[in-house]
Amino acid sequence: MTRVGRVRTEAAAASRSFLRRRTAVFFTFFFPVILVVIFGALVRTQPTGGGLFAEPAGYYIPGYLAVVVLFTPLSRVGSEIARHRDGGRFEKLATTPISRGEWLLAHTLVNVAIIGAASLLIFGLVLAVTDAEPVVSPALAVLPVFVAVGVALFCGLGAVLGALTDSQDGVIAASNTVALPLLFLSETFVSPELLPAWFRPAVAASPLTYFARGTRAIVHDPGPWVGDLSVLAALAVAFLAVGAYAVPRTD
Amino acid sequence: MNETAAASAAEGAPRGRGSDADPALVAEGVRRSYGDVVALDGVDLRVETGEVFGLIGPNGAGKTTLVRALTGTTDAEGDLRVFGVSPREVDPQRVGLLPQSFDPPERLTAAELVDYYGGLYDDARDVGGVLRDVGMADDADAWYETLSGGQQRRTCVATAIVNDPDLLFLDEPTTGIDPAGRRSIHRLIERLADGGTTVFLTSHAMDEVERLADRVALLRDGAVVAVGPPDELIAEHGGAPRLDVTLDGTADEAVVGRVEAGLAGDAAVESTRDGLRVRGVRPEAIGSAVDALDTAGVAFESLAWSEPSLEDVYLRLTGEEYSPRERAVRDEEAISNEEAAAAPDGGATGDDPDGGDR
Repeated sequence: MTRVGRVRTEAAAASRSFLRRRTAVFFTFFFPVILVVIFGALVRTQPTGGGLFAEPAGYYIPGYLAVVVLFTPLSRVGSEIARHRDGGRFEKLATTPISRGEWLLAHTLVNVAIIGAASLLIFGLVLAVTDAEPVVSPALAVLPVFVAVGVALFCGLGAVLGALTDSQDGVIAASNTVALPLLFLSETFVSPELLPAWFRPAVAASPLTYFARGTRAIVHDPGPWVGDLSVLAALAVAFLAVGAYAVPRTD
Repeated sequence: MNETAAASAAEGAPRGRGSDADPALVAEGVRRSYGDVVALDGVDLRVETGEVFGLIGPNGAGKTTLVRALTGTTDAEGDLRVFGVSPREVDPQRVGLLPQSFDPPERLTAAELVDYYGGLYDDARDVGGVLRDVGMADDADAWYETLSGGQQRRTCVATAIVNDPDLLFLDEPTTGIDPAGRRSIHRLIERLADGGTTVFLTSHAMDEVERLADRVALLRDGAVVAVGPPDELIAEHGGAPRLDVTLDGTADEAVVGRVEAGLAGDAAVESTRDGLRVRGVRPEAIGSAVDALDTAGVAFESLAWSEPSLEDVYLRLTGEEYSPRERAVRDEEAISNEEAAAAPDGGATGDDPDGGDR
């Protein structure tokens, strides 16, 4: 069996196992939907006023996408590692030809597919229930690339969290602790102007910032995005490498 | 997961194949500690190719840790070799593992699970054939979660043999399986052994190990205290054949003395909760023992003669030997303590002589 074959086998089993867990599927898609409905349709943006949602509706498209790009891979990969560890699956996989990197790659691909579908749903919903008018340009074709690379990055981080924590509860708590500050301090829902001046440089330390900046440059405020994608891709490679190393192979 | 072997496969190099001339397993001076707890304390083992090797020992003796060390899934000191190479360098195609505690991915059918694990190997057996081998062909399309405990375990065994391994580690494969299921697993192990597969089997079912294993090692406190063919271990450590005599009540010392006086040779008599146990009675001496009971005026309800077994070896070498008389005394003391503790004045402290994990 080739490397591609092993990754395909692992990804097929993982996706089949996920898609048959109806509640997991439902809430994976319901979570971003409810977020868009609450903030996009109920709270709404106030471009002429103050407060948190003071930017035009299109400004927040990266933020809505970031919710699934950030939260879902962190919790899904982290929980998957916890389940594998609790069920002795890594012990068995360690005696098969699949490597840790192949395992993580397979689960990353599954997450890219799931979160890609969720992102499409979010994008459509944002257009349907908010006043957002995304910029239509050839660059829009790069948006799925940003989503895929972002998902890969946070799959790597999720693997690290799953390896460091010792239970599924621990994974959820850790991923929420990591994701919440990242979500609001990465130029997603909170514009830099709302942050203290001394804190603004720290925003650049968040990988999600490059996702938000790049996708915003595509869908809302046209501008260069290659640099953001490059940084995001480099970070994704680094996080996946660290994550693959962190995937348990022994007790 | 096997990084080295995966890399070797990618490079197309035959690394990790080892040699058929090498023993299947060699462990020399293997040690493993978890903090202050010593799980393995200098284990030496050698398993030849084609052997069915049984590993027995009490809970916590280090059996699973040893399996993990031999499969490269835990770090251990000492020399470990599988087909002549380190456990992490061996060609994974040659090794199959059923971990003791194993819960495969959810919401997959038995057939899908076997297909999944088979799909990770270069060469895998036909899924239907593997499921037939473990008696799961009729339930191939049932989700794993809906299977009974025994069916689940048999499915797990199927995932361990799907790559047709040369060396199969089965860590308590029949736990939770009903007698019919156990027999199908036993037949499977026998067939695999007949086909040349080396089987490393851990189990708490002594009859299973005695029946299946060519050689057995007994692990206690992380060290091998005995190793050899089951019949040799039984001959050396199992003690004498015994005749259990069921009476209507227990026998006092006077009865024990009278029966013992009527027996020939070095047979010894002890009181049990159900009556008497006569040790050292050969099959041809059963009649004489019955005569001795008759002469002593002992009316018995039933007789049961048995040869020593691997279980006797286990009990003796692990220090857990069952002594009916001592047990009866302990039980009576425990009851007395409970009654005293329940008394209005609080009674004695009530230490439980049977407490702890035996």
